[in-house]
Amino acid sequence: MSVFMLLVVIAVLALVGFVIGRQRALASAAGNIKEMHSLPLYYGWHGALMVIVPSLFALTFWLVIQPLVIERQLVGYFPPEVVESSAARTLAMADVRRVAEGLDIAIAQGAMTEVQADMVRTEFGSVRDRLADVGVALGAEVTPQILTAAQDYRKYAVVGNIGRSILTFLVALAGLIYAIRITNKDFRARNRVEQVIMALLSLSSTVAILTTVGIVLSLVGESLRFFTMYPWQDFFFSLTWSPNFQGGSDLGLAPLLWGTIYISFVSIIVAAPIGLFSAIYLAEYASPRVRSVVKPAIEVIAGIPTVVFGLFALVTLGPILRDWIAEPTGWGNSGSSVMTAGLVIGILNIPFVSSLADDVINAVPQAMRDGSYGIGATKSETIRLVILPAALPGIVGGMLLALSRAIGETMIVTMGAGAAAKLDLNPFEAMTTITVKIVSQLTGDTEFDSPETLVAFALGMTLFVLTLGLNVVALYIVRKYREQYE
Amino acid sequence: MKDLRVERDVQTETNKIEARGVQVFYGTNHAIKDVDVDILDKTVTAFIGPSGCGKSTFLRCLNRMNDTVASARVEGKILLENEDIYDARVDPVQLRAKVGMVFQKPNPFPKSIYDNVAYGPRIHGLTRNKSELDEIVEKSLRRAALWNEVKDRLHAGGTGLSGGQQQRLCIARAIATSPEVLLMDEPCSALDPIATAQVEELIDELRTDYSVVIVTHSMQQAARVSQRTAFFHLGNLVEYGETGQIFTNPKDPRTESYISGRIG
Repeated sequence: MSVFMLLVVIAVLALVGFVIGRQRALASAAGNIKEMHSLPLYYGWHGALMVIVPSLFALTFWLVIQPLVIERQLVGYFPPEVVESSAARTLAMADVRRVAEGLDIAIAQGAMTEVQADMVRTEFGSVRDRLADVGVALGAEVTPQILTAAQDYRKYAVVGNIGRSILTFLVALAGLIYAIRITNKDFRARNRVEQVIMALLSLSSTVAILTTVGIVLSLVGESLRFFTMYPWQDFFFSLTWSPNFQGGSDLGLAPLLWGTIYISFVSIIVAAPIGLFSAIYLAEYASPRVRSVVKPAIEVIAGIPTVVFGLFALVTLGPILRDWIAEPTGWGNSGSSVMTAGLVIGILNIPFVSSLADDVINAVPQAMRDGSYGIGATKSETIRLVILPAALPGIVGGMLLALSRAIGETMIVTMGAGAAAKLDLNPFEAMTTITVKIVSQLTGDTEFDSPETLVAFALGMTLFVLTLGLNVVALYIVRKYREQYE
Repeated sequence: MKDLRVERDVQTETNKIEARGVQVFYGTNHAIKDVDVDILDKTVTAFIGPSGCGKSTFLRCLNRMNDTVASARVEGKILLENEDIYDARVDPVQLRAKVGMVFQKPNPFPKSIYDNVAYGPRIHGLTRNKSELDEIVEKSLRRAALWNEVKDRLHAGGTGLSGGQQQRLCIARAIATSPEVLLMDEPCSALDPIATAQVEELIDELRTDYSVVIVTHSMQQAARVSQRTAFFHLGNLVEYGETGQIFTNPKDPRTESYISGRIG
């Protein structure tokens, strides 16, 4: 039975559990809802959950365990050197699985019978060609070991699938019977259902945390591998970046870090005042009609893909800056520059700053404004002295979000600032950032075993530490200068 | 209600505010209908009436706080010392420095106690240096009967005070700009009885310097603190007169029904 069919069976049993649970509870109270501990719906949900939760656990468990068990059974077919190395074993197992799948497809298409699939031997002709006939492409000729292993794999898989179906069905059935037996009018179904839902909620929240932990661990692991191949002093203190896949690279962080900081700085210089001022206008001065038009219009910017912004930087803004400012003043002749990328990222970030600032300004209670107006303060005094201080944490938060986005931005930098790693103060020079270099080190057919590729992880780690530090600083600032109302 | 007949010496008979034919509309809702009232200097005037009768709305006309409500429209004349406050030449910002306001819920700014009180003098440029500002802050806090409680923590947050202290801080903030009239919109409705008693005592003291107008839901409070009482009902000023007379010998049957608890 396929996994899909199993899910259907579970769903049907759950429906049965729902209906029976509800009816039994109602029947035991003779239809009088006031006699029952919980509302009838909860008894129904209890019945359904008792089927679904344990059986899904059993199914998941089986799906994880089965391949491991089968792999152990097949170890005998491989030579010892393959078994020793985990990479070689993974590759061999992948081959076995592929051939087994191929045999399945051949049977499904009628090119072989079940018996033929079991009997086929490499000695009688190329298995690879026969499988190619049914559309399964194999990289290399199938060896006798792989073929027999694949045939065994199919047998074990059949047994495993039957076992899986039986186990899941029995667990679901046991859950159903348990739910039906326990259900009567005094059973506290609501509490049980709420417990299950709470468990579900907390499980969801852990997923995000576990993902973060996983990302950090993988970054740390690969970064450490990088530092075993490349001296950390050179990475952090060397002032040149010139990777060379033939070896002898100079992988200095400084030019990339400088480019990142410079471009982010320019972008926040653009985004922070414009975003904040537009938020103040929208929240305090604009009439409802203006607001209803302008606010969505600003937010449209947030929906434009960054690659489109990159085009704007590449085709429009870059040449304009070059022709009208950089060349006349003799600052440079490059269309890609820190200024181009910084300005465009700044524009991209305006809606983030303005939207968040607008929300927090609106959240300042009207009583604060009344208090200030009541003393005879003007609108601008009220905004400057009362509203902005009260809204400060949210405003700083919005700006840091914008800064984090600027630091992490890749596409606009690639198209607007170029890919030349340079340490320069001139904002009309082409420079590049950490993110762009991470991409360029990892694109192409490269193995993850040279410092030139592994440096990407060290760069990623640096980026991560940078934004984390930024958040910590932000939290500190916000705590220290917060003016809290209520 | 005989016990309410206390001695009420109204010290002056000069009019501070004269309102003539005041109408207020919120959109199409006619909230105040043709109200005439004279508010005396150095007197506490109470506005009473059932909820929604327009007493707060009328109070907010007196310092043009209704200007901040987009749909509000005010007609008629309100004279503050013979000057029409709705005249186009009058800047509502300057008017509000002369006619201070204290609100229903204490609303100290999220700043230190000192900065709360210094807010008005600072924005109006009333002082030339720090020591003058210190002086005003201390004087206002003393006037609001709060100085002894907060003098050691002037730079602690104003929002950390208790409800009654917060309201007295708001009163100190309002009197720091030396207004001529102080408007109070149910200043005790969010306070407990002890804090209420303190604020009421304060209001009585403020009478020596200011003309105070207070909106209240509590008739006992109106009887305790005011010398003049105005009764509003459905947007009309039903009766206005000396407090003792309003509570003991009302002329209008509606006033009598309200103070004896039959309507409202």
